[in-house]
Amino acid sequence: MLNAKQKGEDMMDLNKEDQRRLFYRLLLCRNFDEKMRTLFRQARYAGTFFSCVGQEATTVVPTFLARKEDVVGPQHREIGACFGKGMPTKYIAAQIYARKTSPDKGKSHPCHFGYPELNIITPASTVAAQTVIGTGCALAFKIRKEPRVVLAFTGEGGTSQGSWHEACNFAGVHKLPIVFVCQNNLWAESVHYKFTSAIIDYSDRAKAYGFPGISIDGNDVVAVYEESKKAIERARKGEGPTLIEMKTYRWYGHSEVDPANYRMKEEVEEWKKKDPLPRFEAFLRKNGVLDDKIKAEIEKEVEEEIEAAIKFAEESPLPAPEEALTDVYAGNQTMIYERPKAEKVKPEPIRT
Amino acid sequence: MAVTTFIQAIVDGTAEEMRRDESIFLFGEDVGVHGGVWGETRGLFHEFGSDRVIDTPISENLIAGLGVGSAMMGMRPIAMIQFADFISLAMDQITQHMAKMRYRSGGGWSCPVLIRTNSGGGVQAGLYHSQENTAWFCHTPGLKVVYPSTAYDAKGLLKAALRQEDPVILFEHKALYRSVKDDIPENDYIVPIGPAAIRREGEDVTLVVWGNMVRSALEASEMMEKEGVSVEVIDFRTLVPIDKETLINSLKKTGRVVIAHEENRTGGFGGELAAILAEEAFDYLDAPIHRVCAPDVPPIPFSIPMEKFHMPNAEKIAKVIRKTVEY
Repeated sequence: MLNAKQKGEDMMDLNKEDQRRLFYRLLLCRNFDEKMRTLFRQARYAGTFFSCVGQEATTVVPTFLARKEDVVGPQHREIGACFGKGMPTKYIAAQIYARKTSPDKGKSHPCHFGYPELNIITPASTVAAQTVIGTGCALAFKIRKEPRVVLAFTGEGGTSQGSWHEACNFAGVHKLPIVFVCQNNLWAESVHYKFTSAIIDYSDRAKAYGFPGISIDGNDVVAVYEESKKAIERARKGEGPTLIEMKTYRWYGHSEVDPANYRMKEEVEEWKKKDPLPRFEAFLRKNGVLDDKIKAEIEKEVEEEIEAAIKFAEESPLPAPEEALTDVYAGNQTMIYERPKAEKVKPEPIRT
Repeated sequence: MAVTTFIQAIVDGTAEEMRRDESIFLFGEDVGVHGGVWGETRGLFHEFGSDRVIDTPISENLIAGLGVGSAMMGMRPIAMIQFADFISLAMDQITQHMAKMRYRSGGGWSCPVLIRTNSGGGVQAGLYHSQENTAWFCHTPGLKVVYPSTAYDAKGLLKAALRQEDPVILFEHKALYRSVKDDIPENDYIVPIGPAAIRREGEDVTLVVWGNMVRSALEASEMMEKEGVSVEVIDFRTLVPIDKETLINSLKKTGRVVIAHEENRTGGFGGELAAILAEEAFDYLDAPIHRVCAPDVPPIPFSIPMEKFHMPNAEKIAKVIRKTVEY
């Protein structure tokens, strides 16, 4: 397993301001997530919440590197991909609250963050499907010769899907501009990875598809940054896909209704010591990017942004019941054909 | 005008649209150099090249998903599913993603994919190369389902599908490919998605059919004419969106309805049409609505006697019409 720091790399291509911006996004993701867990327990919104605490680096960092026109294919735990890409926090909150102001207008689910303005594909719950859709996006870019890249996310559990295989296989054949990010957080809901695959490093799977695979410490922001950057550049240059396995850990249950009793407490505690945020903070302090004063400013700003987003969500109206009938077809057509007034019905006998 | 087979009309329509709009491209199993197992993409690879006519691995879910992703990025994909029987492998991408994309994004994304698939029985192809499974998709909001019976409609519906914003599944009955011909106009035309076609006007019974059943229906209506029964044949070439109005207007005229389809009876689309009529035009009915369908067994048994027994045909339709008229 590679560790970027061992190779002496140090994010030199990011200026101090951008490094602080990345720290800001990571902290925003962490604190927003913790806040949403609290609000769920207060029954401030319905459904459930899929916390990504502990594994923020794996989503925030690659998407932070993506351009606006690049596509992100998240699934349920990728709230961090929205923060990384720069989706306004108020819309993330509105999504969780299922308000009319949410990008999905309250239709899908609190965890299905999508945002067409920034090319974040609205996800679904059939795992790994977004890797197939992402492959379709990447094919469009290749055909049109556009220098755009797709970042498609799954957990290690998602790599067991046939659709994940179909996506990787085709992307490999056509050298499509896509990066497959596999967040190995050890647990596919309640099933340990030892029961879902016979390999240790999921990057080994890339061999079967003829493109590079790499396994890295997903809680090392610098390693995630460097390897994501390489993979994105490789894709953008037309050299094809990369599979990056990022080894990480979710601190809490599959969702807020899962007490995660299937895990050993010791395992959780061990991983909490590998928390990506303090590690990155130490790195930034060492390089003179962050100090107590700047950190306090960032924390204050994060807090204000979260409060404003929650206020926006809570003050946003709920959708009207009959809005459930909209957005099925273009122009709000329905499954019943509506004949335009000018259209005349006349017999059309078979012509031959 | 040129006399053109059903399959050639579809190939011509595809080529014309690909010349008109360079965002249209096509992909699937054996559709490239080979030109499709039925010749349903013949010549396209040679004209448009490997960027726009792409042979895929044997991965139906991928084929549908390539459609979803590329359509979201502004392409006009034609996703080819070699046999409708194999579409089961693509159901996740079709029903959960393609069909729901607009809805789940609150109208943020469009997904105008055209799925072409060949379907239908009667050619001794057995359990896995004969199905027409339209009911799976008619039950899926967000999809449009079209099933032409003529070469003219096949070309026109295909063109219409490539000029609108929703996913469409085009069923192409394999028995029609080379046995049906039309005079196809030289000029560009579309057949709008939605309106049914009245193929034959009649006074006594309304007969609703689509795909290859249209031929059997016309044959049956000629048989009935000799018996003094005038049958109105409605070609339901678009299943969804449902042309309720044409259906109800015809019932108002005839008072009797028979619906025939190749799919098995239970949960078939004929049941939905019957329910619409029962709910909205009950007072006009002079007899119960009857269906002529395949029996409720897996479609379609291979051995010739069993296949013939399985499939609706003109005689079976005529028999049910007699029953309806005698009620």
